[in-house]
Amino acid sequence: MGVILREFSFKLNGQPVSVKAPPAYTLLETLRYVIRLTGTKDGCSSGDCGACTVLLDGRAVHSCLTLISHVQGREVVTVEGVDPKIVKAYASEGAVQCGYCIPGLVVATAALLREHPKPSTEEVREMLKGNLCRCTGYVKIVKAVEAAAGV
Amino acid sequence: MTVEARWVGREIARRDALEKASGKTKFASDMVPDNLLWVATLRSKHPHARILKIDVSKAAKMPGVVGVFTHRDVPNNRYGVFFKDRPVLCDDRVRYIGDPVALVAAESREEAEEAVDEILVEYEPLPVVSDPLKALDPASFKIHENGNVCRATRITFGDVEKALQDCKAVVENTYRTMPQIHAYLETEAGVSYIDDKGRITVVAGGQSPYRDHHEIVSTLNLPADKVRVVIPNVGGAFGGKDDISVQIHLALVTWKTGRPARLVWSREESTISGTKRHSSIVKMKTGASADGKLTANYVEIVYDTGAYAALGPAVLDVAIETCNGPYKIPNIDVRAWLAYTNNMVASAFRGFGAPQVHFAMEQQVDQLAEELGFDPLEFRLLNCVRKGDYGVFRNKLVGSVGISKCLETLKNHRLWRERASLKDVRTYPWVKRGVGVAAAMKGYTLGALPDKGSVGLELRLDGGFTVKGSFTEIGQGVVQAVSQLAAELLKTSIDKIEVVFADTAETPDTSVTSASRQLFLAGNALRDAVNKMLERIGRGVEMVCGRPVAEVHLSEGYVQTSSGIRIPLTEVAETLERAGLGRSVVGVFDVPRVEPIPGSLEIPHLFYMFGAALAVVEVNVLTGVVSVNELVAVADVGRAINPQTLTGQLEGAAAQGIGYALLEDVKISEGRLLTTNLSTYLIPSIKDVPEIEAIAVEDHEDSGPFGAKGIGEIGIIPVAPAIANAIYDAVRKRPFTAPMTPERVYWLVKKQD
Amino acid sequence: MRSLADVDVLSPASVDEALEILHQKAGGIKIVAGGTDLIVQMKHRIIGKTDLLNIYMLDELRYIRLENGSVRVGGLTDFATIHKSPVVRTAAPVLAEAASTIGSVQILNKASIAGNIVNASPAADSLPALYVLEADLHLRSKASSRTVPIRDFYKGYKKLDMRPDELLVEVSFKQVGDGYLGKFFKHGLRQGDAIAVVNGAVLLKWDASSKAVSEARIALGAVAPTVVRAEKAEAILVGSRLEETAIVNASRAVQESISPIDDVRGSAAYRREMSTNYVYMTLRMLAEMVRK
Repeated sequence: MGVILREFSFKLNGQPVSVKAPPAYTLLETLRYVIRLTGTKDGCSSGDCGACTVLLDGRAVHSCLTLISHVQGREVVTVEGVDPKIVKAYASEGAVQCGYCIPGLVVATAALLREHPKPSTEEVREMLKGNLCRCTGYVKIVKAVEAAAGV
Repeated sequence: MTVEARWVGREIARRDALEKASGKTKFASDMVPDNLLWVATLRSKHPHARILKIDVSKAAKMPGVVGVFTHRDVPNNRYGVFFKDRPVLCDDRVRYIGDPVALVAAESREEAEEAVDEILVEYEPLPVVSDPLKALDPASFKIHENGNVCRATRITFGDVEKALQDCKAVVENTYRTMPQIHAYLETEAGVSYIDDKGRITVVAGGQSPYRDHHEIVSTLNLPADKVRVVIPNVGGAFGGKDDISVQIHLALVTWKTGRPARLVWSREESTISGTKRHSSIVKMKTGASADGKLTANYVEIVYDTGAYAALGPAVLDVAIETCNGPYKIPNIDVRAWLAYTNNMVASAFRGFGAPQVHFAMEQQVDQLAEELGFDPLEFRLLNCVRKGDYGVFRNKLVGSVGISKCLETLKNHRLWRERASLKDVRTYPWVKRGVGVAAAMKGYTLGALPDKGSVGLELRLDGGFTVKGSFTEIGQGVVQAVSQLAAELLKTSIDKIEVVFADTAETPDTSVTSASRQLFLAGNALRDAVNKMLERIGRGVEMVCGRPVAEVHLSEGYVQTSSGIRIPLTEVAETLERAGLGRSVVGVFDVPRVEPIPGSLEIPHLFYMFGAALAVVEVNVLTGVVSVNELVAVADVGRAINPQTLTGQLEGAAAQGIGYALLEDVKISEGRLLTTNLSTYLIPSIKDVPEIEAIAVEDHEDSGPFGAKGIGEIGIIPVAPAIANAIYDAVRKRPFTAPMTPERVYWLVKKQD
Repeated sequence: MRSLADVDVLSPASVDEALEILHQKAGGIKIVAGGTDLIVQMKHRIIGKTDLLNIYMLDELRYIRLENGSVRVGGLTDFATIHKSPVVRTAAPVLAEAASTIGSVQILNKASIAGNIVNASPAADSLPALYVLEADLHLRSKASSRTVPIRDFYKGYKKLDMRPDELLVEVSFKQVGDGYLGKFFKHGLRQGDAIAVVNGAVLLKWDASSKAVSEARIALGAVAPTVVRAEKAEAILVGSRLEETAIVNASRAVQESISPIDDVRGSAAYRREMSTNYVYMTLRMLAEMVRK
């Protein structure tokens, strides 16, 4: 296999970065294996679970379905760059059990609150329907979002 | 009796939550050691085949490949807790589509993947045995040398045949449940390396570091002190990481190459090669007298354990033990079979054999109540066991028995009282509403099997304490609960408590983290450790004071004697250190048990959990879609150590129960899994789960730490039958197969027209 | 799941540049837009490895315009944008409704309308809506430009009227006027994100003066190799007053237009029943709207 390497520049959590990676690597692979930033989790690599959610130009996307080539010149925010008040709300409301899905949920929540600063329960459910959690039954996740929004 | 407590019973945010939510926690799958080898697995593509030849020569010469490993590299190529029937890497045969045949270790992920494709395996396909009933036929093709009956047993008390003749009402049905996939968000994952003491160290998601350690040293024939197993925070387990996955493979690669290695299963590998909940076929003939007393239960249980036994033999025992529900039934006759098939391996999954038989029994109970004209909750209350009663195995129930409290809670619940008006709400004519309940029971501890665990406790030089145990943090919050117990017992602030867990080099053996009893076990061992620590501190105080002291008490970093002397723990710690007396103790708890009854492995337990659920559902009769509008999950928890983590466990278990009941349909065709990913195997999303109401009732367990009992599994058990009973209430047609997917419910309803 | 580390990605700066590359490499390169289907397919060996033409940054293909009674949607427009677009919500509410069901928020933010069309899954959720809107697809190559009605675009299961050097640049359809009522439906096996077992769209024109249906369009997905129009059912509805008999007859008549198969999500028999029942429920709901 002839591995191809290219250089890509983008903004990661507010900082400009340059990274050499195969152009068809996903953003998830680049974050975890090249940059070694592992807060973004790999649950299925198929866009089915939401654990790898990041913000691309402010919108929630699957980093496992985003090529590093898609990211060139854009802005990426991972869990490491999200408003800590959301992280704190998840922790204090007991929404964290095994915790593997939570970074993705935290990022999805950041996108949700950007669109709906005071979301209804319906809006929370609609916006987080792509983030699977196997531990919590989602009850405390809804509470965490509401706590982060101050509703 | 409830003891006044400062840390026990308090809702405190988990100590690991912030780090996990911020993405800082390193799970096994996040570890990428320097200079590592990437490992890829070649798996069988046949559900059943003889291996004629394995040729790795081409793969071994591929660029970047450091090693290709097969069964020839494994000194003792069989492992397993009950039967050593499972190969580390297949030699003579493959028995299911995920069976591992070879491993490639290479310098990059890509090179490992490429080389796997170049391994040549010649197979001779064998007949595929996919149906467990056919597998049990002596004429069927043998998957293992001794045939396809992995285990068969019969347990009977009283005279069922005669009792059934005397019954006023008898119902007889056959129920089926499909396998369930754990679908933890973190797949099976690990890394391995040689540590600074020269030990082959495996850091991998698991539930029992000492058991994993045992399986590694016994298969690879290594000295016990040359292997170390560490289990970091695990991204979900639910029983699915109770068995070996990547551990032996990783140890093999590092043993053979001396290099660090990383092996993480893809989602597809996880769904195919990870263990499952057993699929079941349960036939029941249950009878009750005119006055509403259950008198007889005839049960036939067939569980499909797939290609290998794994923990199946014990799962079958729990099925036998719980198939009569939490009821007094004087006559029982239970026959049970565990079948080998060429399906995926089944083993532990939250509930451990109980959900399947409850799906049957709790529907039997509803049918009998209806036939005899009883309210379903009253009927259950009339029959349920109470403390001091004798159970169906003539076993005295000496522990806490909170089932009547659970059922009373539902009886008084608004949704039950107002169920008639609730059902009246109309949306569209094709939408029907129903309300259903179910009860549940399951033993915690390993029952009649030996179960002993140790917990270490160290007085640190800074005056705080470190608790050490091999319990694993699989999401359930045991580390938090242990910290709260330790702070309570040591009368100190919780931030003075450190917990070190799940490392065979650092922590004593606290036995396995399973059977909902780690807190019970570790908590009791910790209590013993605290007593020993008080003695040790007493000796330290004596050295400081220079005279004997009768009794010591701890208080916020100080030790006090009855004569009023008050010394900081830091000083005691220094004194003990200087004198070489040691600052560490080990507490031990040998779980009380009785001898197993004939025909069983672990029946009966001394300790049981109880629970109940109420479901309000809507059934769309034109589509078969069932939605759960309300779900109340009640569990008898003995005593809540941390109400927040406790309700979290109940809510999560209930959500898995909704998935099991309605969504999670494993489709297998001739041993081939068709639902290999999270787009075909659907677990509940946030839109599929209502705002679950979790209610903990506390029926104090005298043997438990501060009265606490096991709670990890009970929450899932009553959910599927409660939903089934609610569906019946809505459409007057009984679902005998779970999951009750839209298609199954659609045909069920349609058939009656 | 295989690595794509050896796959090259060409990222042109303009549509013209993209068309030039397609012209030169026609057949040897695959177009990737949002990547929500293609990346998984390539990693799971459903499609072969080829180099990729990344058009994701071609913002000139992201627009929604209303011009002369026609809605023009740039091929790269994502479904979140389509779902929220005031133009689409007014001019084609049935598409706005379909757009929101395509997947999770993460998918909607990335998946493009052209990608959904070209990926050609018979279960694609935007397609039944585009069928009842009778959308036109605008294809460009270096040398040519042409328009294909969506019904003619699909020649069979995943078979398209599209040359390897062409790019789907725009989707357009006539604005839905007064008196039109539309509804999208989707039967997934989970209330969260799930692929459709059956989906469909119904668009009716209600003539208020005669109190009858004057035009009917019904499209169904996941029940044939391509999305289909249920013409027999449409014919039954035209002239009806959406009374129960007409609704029952029309929903039964969809059977003549479909040819479902068994797959992991459902049996053919179940898909047949769902086709009729969903059309029935949808027509009942539309009838209620009309009566209000």
